[in-house]
Amino acid sequence: MKKRKFGLIMSMVLAAGTMLAACGGGDDAGGKDTDKKAFKVGMVTDSGTIDDKSFNQGTWEGILQAKKELGIQEKYLKPSGETEADYLKEIGNLYDAGYKFIVTPGFKFETAIYQAQDKYKDAKFVILDGNPHKGDYKPVVKDNTVAIFFAEHESGFLAGVATAVQLKQGEAGFIGGMEIPAVQKFNWGFQQGVKYANENLGTKINMKAENVLYQGSFNDVAAGGQIAAQMFDRGVNVIFTAAGGVGVGVIKEAKDRAKAGKQVWIVGVDVDQYADGIYEGDKSIILTSAMKKIGHATVDTIQHEVDGKFPGGQTLIFDAKNDGVGIPDKNPNLSDDTVAKVKEVYEKIKSGDIKVSAEKGDLFK
Amino acid sequence: MRHTIVSIIAIILGLVAGGILMVLIGSNPLEGYTYLFQGALRNIERIGNTLATATPLIFAGLSVAFAFRTGLFNIGGSGQMLIGGLCATAVALSFDVSRPILILMMVLAGLLGGALWAFIPGLLKAKFNVHEVVSTIMMNWIAYWTVYYVVPGYFKGEFLETESRKLEEAQTLRSPFLTEMFQGSYINMGIFFAIIAVIIIAFIINKTTMGFELKAVGFNRYAAEYAGMRVNRNIILSMFISGALAGLGGVALYTGNASSIQIGILPSQGYDGIAVALLGANTPVGVFFAAILFGILYSGTGFMNAMIEIPPELANTIIAIIIYFAATSVLIERLLNRFRKRRSGQEMNGPVGKKGVS
Repeated sequence: MKKRKFGLIMSMVLAAGTMLAACGGGDDAGGKDTDKKAFKVGMVTDSGTIDDKSFNQGTWEGILQAKKELGIQEKYLKPSGETEADYLKEIGNLYDAGYKFIVTPGFKFETAIYQAQDKYKDAKFVILDGNPHKGDYKPVVKDNTVAIFFAEHESGFLAGVATAVQLKQGEAGFIGGMEIPAVQKFNWGFQQGVKYANENLGTKINMKAENVLYQGSFNDVAAGGQIAAQMFDRGVNVIFTAAGGVGVGVIKEAKDRAKAGKQVWIVGVDVDQYADGIYEGDKSIILTSAMKKIGHATVDTIQHEVDGKFPGGQTLIFDAKNDGVGIPDKNPNLSDDTVAKVKEVYEKIKSGDIKVSAEKGDLFK
Repeated sequence: MRHTIVSIIAIILGLVAGGILMVLIGSNPLEGYTYLFQGALRNIERIGNTLATATPLIFAGLSVAFAFRTGLFNIGGSGQMLIGGLCATAVALSFDVSRPILILMMVLAGLLGGALWAFIPGLLKAKFNVHEVVSTIMMNWIAYWTVYYVVPGYFKGEFLETESRKLEEAQTLRSPFLTEMFQGSYINMGIFFAIIAVIIIAFIINKTTMGFELKAVGFNRYAAEYAGMRVNRNIILSMFISGALAGLGGVALYTGNASSIQIGILPSQGYDGIAVALLGANTPVGVFFAAILFGILYSGTGFMNAMIEIPPELANTIIAIIIYFAATSVLIERLLNRFRKRRSGQEMNGPVGKKGVS
């Protein structure tokens, strides 16, 4: 009886589908067969949306650039949750749909990629900011996988120097998303950068422990705005935010204050966030951004694959040495003098004269 | 039988509405739905995943439906699931005992955790007439922040502050037997617990004095009181059982489908449970099939999305529309009633749906 009912439901469902099709008309049916030759690159998003102005977006823009340059076919899927099972499901969906080159942004994919690289041996995986492992943090990068890391601390350091040199004096804060290595290294790097400028370049930028916070997620926009408001109320002039969607809230709060005539600044993260901080004409509250050239790394890897030189099994690090991190090329809010000083520091990091620590040491949080 | 028809009409309406949206964005609904169902059912692994996706929904739906029958609107399923999952995870990470005992302890812990989380709103309702909608929602946030505090404080992952240590396979509801049978799917013993729960709840509601009393309170609280039933006790009991079910859903979700609990996320399944219960006409068996349908929708989306040219946000919207329409079964029931009334010219008996509220 029960079975019959279920069968009935199912058949009705299918019948409805058929009826719909009749009225729908197959305008783009078979569209996927026509460009079968195109190399298919898939991506699964991390927590947060594709337009998170940060990691997902950076990766996706890299893929879109590759589309322009290399004529690949692209697709991203957004998992319904954030567990390994959710990620694996979407990887499986991409694989079954013929996307056998899959880019995953974020450490959260580590265990999922660990399983996927064995399960889908003829697919290739790129994991940004993570190493595949089975839950024990012992990296296992198989031949069909590349793990890419960025030297966030160097990026944060440069942004810290730029901030200090430009503002000369004031109070700086940091708002992070989840308390994970990539975000922490940005924070620690930024603090070291500010310190370096204070000690060597005659600036006076203060940082207090209470103004270094991790919100705990990458998607709580409202919370970002609230934390930023509290910091600004405590007298902070510039906030470095490495927090995905939370950062969107931070930027919004700063824009509101700037519109009201207050002088506040935000240091963006991951990608050049200048455009996101525009509040009037072409004025932006984004002082500069601590970039990880995620898109650059993505295009690079896709290019290698197209050339048949996929660096499978390797763990690559993008840092100052190979121009994988840094501040944007154009910084309308920085003076020429600041840009020049930052460039000097950049060269010193490149040559190894300045060593930026990726550890907490005696820094805040 | 009438409920079944109503639910089926609701589902068809939902699919039609989703199909119209697909047409509007220039996709072919037949193609879309074919991929949707293929994505959920095209091989044994995907069927396993679909069943696993449905498992927490079965529990959440049962939880909502059970409270509904007593005239209570438990929308705190998310929080109860979270606490259930937290308790089970805590037990799994704290005790080193043999697997059958550990599983039993995890299930019990999850059940009690969820039950406690709903017991409090039940108590508030019974003693002070605090509306359970308000108090269960508040309890959701208490659960949210409890997890936020407890997980990083006591069960933190080795490098990650944001989720608990990963459970070993032997500490979860997964079994190698099932994983193998379903070719690497993440299906787990949760589905069996869910089926058992459906049977037990159906039995309680339909065959026991307790079930009769609970329903009586749902139909008319004052009449039940007049008949000598202890209304307050029944309200608390109903919430307790409802919470226990949601708690089990949390066990299935966090120690079955997933193997760690994350902070900063309220499981959406708690809210989906409301739609599942409505579509299933608040009967345990109805809930079971409604949850399976939702499982199909949720696990098929990704594949549909990968195969047709639409952005994932729209794919999710299509699913949401189907669910939204499917949850309007109460309206359809009213419409049907009106038609019948007109035809026979006489009053139809019985309240709308099988619930007791409004």
